[in-house]
Amino acid sequence: MPAIQKGARKRKSRGESMVLRYAILGSWAACCLLPILWFLTIAFRPRTEIITTQPIYWPTFSLDAWHLLMSDWPIAQYMRNSFFAVSGSVIIDLMLAIPAAYALSRYEFKGRDDIGFYILSTRMMAPAIVAVPIFFLFKTMGLLDSVWALMLIYAAINLSLVTWIIRSYMLDIPKELEDAARTDGAGDLRILWEIIVPACLPGIITAAVIATIFAINEFLFTLLIASTEKAYTMSVALANFTGGSDGVIYNAIALVSFLAFVPILILVILIQKHLSRGLTMGAVKG
Amino acid sequence: MASIKLSNIVKSYGAFTGVREMTLDIKDEEFLVLLGPSGCGKTTTMRMIAGLEQPTEGEIIIGDEMVNGVDARDRDVAMVFQGYALYPNMSIYENIRFPLRMRGVPKAEQDVLIRRAADMVELGDYLDRKPAALSGGQRQRAALARAVVRQPQVFLMDEPLSNLDAKLRASMRVQIKHLQRQLKVTTVYVTHDQIEAMTLADRIVIMNQGAIQQIGTPDQIYSDPANVFVAGFIGSPPMNLIAGTARNGSFDAPGLKVACPPGVAGQVTLGIRPEDCRVGGDTLQGTVYGVEPTGDVTYLTVATGARQIEVKAARDFRADIDAAIGIGFDPAQLYFFDDQGQRIRRVA
Repeated sequence: MPAIQKGARKRKSRGESMVLRYAILGSWAACCLLPILWFLTIAFRPRTEIITTQPIYWPTFSLDAWHLLMSDWPIAQYMRNSFFAVSGSVIIDLMLAIPAAYALSRYEFKGRDDIGFYILSTRMMAPAIVAVPIFFLFKTMGLLDSVWALMLIYAAINLSLVTWIIRSYMLDIPKELEDAARTDGAGDLRILWEIIVPACLPGIITAAVIATIFAINEFLFTLLIASTEKAYTMSVALANFTGGSDGVIYNAIALVSFLAFVPILILVILIQKHLSRGLTMGAVKG
Repeated sequence: MASIKLSNIVKSYGAFTGVREMTLDIKDEEFLVLLGPSGCGKTTTMRMIAGLEQPTEGEIIIGDEMVNGVDARDRDVAMVFQGYALYPNMSIYENIRFPLRMRGVPKAEQDVLIRRAADMVELGDYLDRKPAALSGGQRQRAALARAVVRQPQVFLMDEPLSNLDAKLRASMRVQIKHLQRQLKVTTVYVTHDQIEAMTLADRIVIMNQGAIQQIGTPDQIYSDPANVFVAGFIGSPPMNLIAGTARNGSFDAPGLKVACPPGVAGQVTLGIRPEDCRVGGDTLQGTVYGVEPTGDVTYLTVATGARQIEVKAARDFRADIDAAIGIGFDPAQLYFFDDQGQRIRRVA
């Protein structure tokens, strides 16, 4: 009998600990999600209910902001610009970073570590320092106010980070795999493409997602390069709701922020498995 | 199929020399095992044959071709690695197919070759699986299949069994030897496990500190060791080695006096294998330090002064710890080594 009681107690305490665990995790999740929920309620309430001094706990549902965006602002154009500039920049980054990371992680050459550090050090510089030269550079090239320019800038900003992340994954791939491929008859490019890239795919995906997030949120250079709707992206569009005769249009800002946030959310959910594996695998040999 | 010739191979890494002045002829269809402790240069030697490293000096000839400077992918060798090195993103079928694809084997032939190789290692039912879904033994068999599929001139195996458990290792050993005999491919096998070396090899090359210590058949290596290192490395338990002095046909060490050939003199090491010692003799007196029954034989460790002597006793031998015991040496099975550790052969 005592054994049964002991078992029952064990089950009960395990049940209690599960409840506690869910309670802690649930409240943490609520803390994280609260700002998003807050945004959503602002996005879908009328403007008068935002600027009132009295708190409103149950706001009226309204599509004012949505209509305003659709009628007065070329929001689809902004999204398109963001999409092309960001996805283009990530593709450029990957095309350059994968071979660079491979060389940095595998080839032995003089000054390899110095070059690796130099690449990373570009990230340590405050962006404002290069803002003016970049402006004149793109002006000379006739690339001001174009999505292509944004694409190049985002790619340049993130390239070092993407290279460094992918390199750390490649360092973890056993050298034996490459040796095997080489004795099997594969050359460098084929080893990179068929063996190394698939083996560090979680790392590549992690790097791409991080680059995407940084690029979508980039503001300073976008503001500098884009001067009309032709090149405005979501991040700069947000700023457009803060000035002008209408004052700060909070519900539109909230809605645009939410629209900018949703694609990343979907992306992260889709690749969650790779991302979580990727974030840990780079650090610890598995 | 091909012979391999290494002449005066040296491999240096800066000031450190990994392999020194190595000369070795490996015959066509031979199963050669490179045996030695970690860091003795055996894997480096194999990697130089594979083309994964280039020798600092010397020549490597595979078949009739001097292959120094020839890239690994252009040497017709297949290698099996300690960690299997299966491509994790590919199925077993794709893994085995990879070397065929790289060498442009026509598609129509590929499938036949892959299935034949998989059947040879009894993996026919697992071709659709990814490496992660296989056990260690199955993975190693898949790696073997990938090596045999394109019928290379040379097989190189770098400690292929050391990640497997003891039982699996024994069965894989038999399988590897069978495959090699069946395919008649010149094979170089690296291991630090002397049982693997003794059971697999046509000839064993014993290496230490980058240099060859002895080349010979397993029997020669066991019964006719060239120096103290080989004598102490081969055999389980290894040969008993006792330092002493020899003078006028007599070898003396504390508590021990045996006859030695008249030409043997000076600082000498006496060697005797545990199976050539017998319980109940009077060559040496000591006390029982440990008794280890293994079923078919009992290993006895005898403490005499500061030394311990290993004796292979009868399976039913039992004794209490610290009991006094006398040990006899078979006088015909004594080995003598000079102060440089080199074997002193029978002196005329």
